Amino acid sequence: MRFNSLIFAKHCGLAALSLLVILCAGMAFAQSDVIPDTENCLLCHRYPSMGRFDQNGIKRIFYINETKFANSVHGKLRCKSCHVGLDEIPHTDIKKVDCSTNCHIKEPSTGKEFSHVNMIDKYQASVHGTGKTATPKPFPEDLPTCKDCHSNPMYTPFKGMWGKSEALSNETLSRCIGCHTAEQWAQKFYSHFTQRMRRRRSPAEIITLCTRCHEDSEKMARHGLETVDTYKDTFHWTQVKFGVENAPDCISCHAPVGYTTHDIRPRTDAISPINPANRINTCSNQGGLQSCHPGATDQFASGRVHAYGLKAQMMAGTESVDNENRDMSLVRKRAESDVSAQDAFHYQILEYIRLFYKVLIGGTIGFMCLHQFVAYRSGRKKHAKTG
Amino acid sequence: MLKRADKDLFLKDNKMSNKDLNPKFSTRNSADEETGKRYFIRLNLSERLQHFILFACFIVLAVTGFMVMIPEALAQALGGASETVFFYRGLLHRIAGIILISVGIFHFMYLLFTRAGRRWLVDMLPRPRDLKDMIFNIFYYIGFKKEPPEFDRFSYKQKFEYGALIAGSTIMSATGLLLWTEYKWSKFILDIAKLVHGMEAILACLAIIIWHLFEVYLLPHKSPISKTWITGLIDEDEMKEEFAGHYKKIMADPALRQVYVHGENESDQTTDTPRQVKISDLSRIH
Repeated sequence: MRFNSLIFAKHCGLAALSLLVILCAGMAFAQSDVIPDTENCLLCHRYPSMGRFDQNGIKRIFYINETKFANSVHGKLRCKSCHVGLDEIPHTDIKKVDCSTNCHIKEPSTGKEFSHVNMIDKYQASVHGTGKTATPKPFPEDLPTCKDCHSNPMYTPFKGMWGKSEALSNETLSRCIGCHTAEQWAQKFYSHFTQRMRRRRSPAEIITLCTRCHEDSEKMARHGLETVDTYKDTFHWTQVKFGVENAPDCISCHAPVGYTTHDIRPRTDAISPINPANRINTCSNQGGLQSCHPGATDQFASGRVHAYGLKAQMMAGTESVDNENRDMSLVRKRAESDVSAQDAFHYQILEYIRLFYKVLIGGTIGFMCLHQFVAYRSGRKKHAKTG
Repeated sequence: MLKRADKDLFLKDNKMSNKDLNPKFSTRNSADEETGKRYFIRLNLSERLQHFILFACFIVLAVTGFMVMIPEALAQALGGASETVFFYRGLLHRIAGIILISVGIFHFMYLLFTRAGRRWLVDMLPRPRDLKDMIFNIFYYIGFKKEPPEFDRFSYKQKFEYGALIAGSTIMSATGLLLWTEYKWSKFILDIAKLVHGMEAILACLAIIIWHLFEVYLLPHKSPISKTWITGLIDEDEMKEEFAGHYKKIMADPALRQVYVHGENESDQTTDTPRQVKISDLSRIH
């Protein structure tokens, strides 16, 4: 009996210790502003080593850092709000996340369940969307999906007008909390608001994002497009290169003030900001942070912004087209409608000027080098003779 | 009528072949200071100032202009300062551009409305002789001819460079102003302006390095650097060596001597004794 009571006491001690550990852990969790994990996903997903290689050999990480997730834009959502299904373990019933799903958060302006469906509808109708017409777009797998551009970004401190982010946040929040007593809610609201006041990506990051597809010549040719490399011949790019804050990147012209990036339209579309009819507004960017060309005239705004590329070369006949190649003939076909005879003429003039200068520089500098070489040699000889 | 001393010198000069001209490369040693030397005026104060402003602007324009062409990695290496650097780059480029255009306009006025300017213009005009000079001079360099041609006040090299400078500045100013007022012009005009501005800049910088800096810096007898751009003067040996034609003309004509020989327009012009040139003289306004 004595032996048994000892074991009992030991068990009690262990139980008490476990309870203490759990309590402490609970207190630690209670201190961070996390949504309680009522679905108990973190039972497994809290372990950093959690992950596997999928069929394509790509490493997938299934670890969730709870604090970081709580500080992300989706931090208020429970896992199953987006990852529907997942009732079996291991998850064999997994479905792809659909961003148009209604989640259980109420959208405050309407009181309805929140969803990204508005954006997705706009996006599908845009140049990047699969479209809603009877004839689907070719190569739909090339079209970007939500996740190609979006991640689940973290809220970062707002470095606004007064620079010191901590002080600014503290002072603003203390004013909010006077009325909005739920501090966690106020913090989220503030973070959301200040997040949306800023551009999420710098101009250089936007260029990197867009050129991930738009510099892929094969992918572009499949859709009859040329790559956008020639953007880097423009002064717009020079400013991006130097990290100018409001430098003109892709969305500055393709989705300026009054447009959203989800609604990028082809040039031929009447509402597109790059449609010739809307160009003056786009170039002047009135009402935007950067009023780019405030006095833009019609003459200025009607020209092409990207330097001449493959399509102009095709139309000018400087680039031979392999007609057997389906993609190239598609690009050629688009070039015929996109590049006017005037554009092709302008391109040729520019090429002649370029050639003229190449010959001029080569000839002049070549002559100068030769002349100075013989002059130097003769001078040295004379110098040596006369001392 | 020529004065006796001038006459002697003229005869002496005429008898003298190029071989006899002292082809001295290392000029201006301490002995020159002691014995005194005749100096010739190549650039007056206004011309030197114009040159100084021009070259300062040129350097600023070249540096701030070519900065737009640097590779992305280099621009990013500037880190957080890159935006500020870019801002001041644009500002300095425009300021230097305006100053250069102003100097250009001033120079144009100078050519028309001053006596020295008109003389400059006449001497600088290209003549068929320049082509002949160039061919013979190259023949001399490569050893086909024993003597170099006798250049007048400006040799074909200088005329070529001056012409290129005038043409280049005009093109750069015009295209620069077009790019500055971009919102007024069609994209085609701006495309041409941008292309020409860039290409002309490359041409100008290479030409300046290879043609001009070589002439004033790398030629053995100019070592370490020709001081004419500061003093405006050239010594007699160098004058005989480089502008023999002009030298003879000056020595034969008292009116030209008054203009071009340093100190000749003062009281001691009757004496043939070369004047002692002091450093303080060099900074005097001509």
